[in-house]
Amino acid sequence: MKRPIFSNWSITSVNRKAAISELLKLFPFQKTSEGLLLTALETREQAEPTIVHKGIAMPHCRSILVDDFMIAIGKSKKGIPWPVKKVKVIILFITPVKPSGPEEHMKLIKHLAKLLQSDGAEKLLSADSPIEAASILKFTLQESKQNE
Amino acid sequence: MNNDLERLISLHDLDVMISDLQNKDIRKQEKKLGLSPAAAVTELKKMRCELALLITRRNRDMYDQLASHYGNAVVPVINERCSGCFTQLPTAFVASPDRNKQVETCPACGRFIYWCD
Repeated sequence: MKRPIFSNWSITSVNRKAAISELLKLFPFQKTSEGLLLTALETREQAEPTIVHKGIAMPHCRSILVDDFMIAIGKSKKGIPWPVKKVKVIILFITPVKPSGPEEHMKLIKHLAKLLQSDGAEKLLSADSPIEAASILKFTLQESKQNE
Repeated sequence: MNNDLERLISLHDLDVMISDLQNKDIRKQEKKLGLSPAAAVTELKKMRCELALLITRRNRDMYDQLASHYGNAVVPVINERCSGCFTQLPTAFVASPDRNKQVETCPACGRFIYWCD
């Protein structure tokens, strides 16, 4: 699954909502869309924190505000309370709402589940750079000023 | 953006989230990831009720009618067309300086429409 992704390998936020917001800023959204997407992702987290492995969270949703896959990965050296257990790596994605249904959304979750269930999670936690992390997730890193 | 319009968009995204978590295949994958989709759905439904109450009754009722009829009650305007029924919107709509400042519906299908940023 070669999808372009954005990254921030030095997240400075100290709480979940701020960390999600920091990653959302990587995308070219306007303020209103960014705010609504933050609400959607945070709502999902409030329903159930999306910790998919020790130290890894996967905030995600489908939204009518995007027309293509939006994926970002982030790393915090200190860790972020999510809200209790600490998370160091974040895989954030938003998929579009299409008339064809949630097929593509499901494929992406399946792809990530497969990778994380093997040794992908441990590799991801020890990845030194976003390029390495993108490679582990079989994504392509998008050119961005904020990619480090 | 109009407050009700923001809430209608959030309500739509929340309905999609609930529907996704009730999808058999997605549920299976989320469980593989160690998540609990059933518990999340219960919580999301509570949040949906709370959000729906913040929307004016008229718009909320219209949303429910549209959602049950079309599946999607809120759609973006793309290339000056309603992306629900693909009808070209009247010039007055497109040229209006009040885009997203009030709740608008497509004159053809009645879905709530909004302009992307």
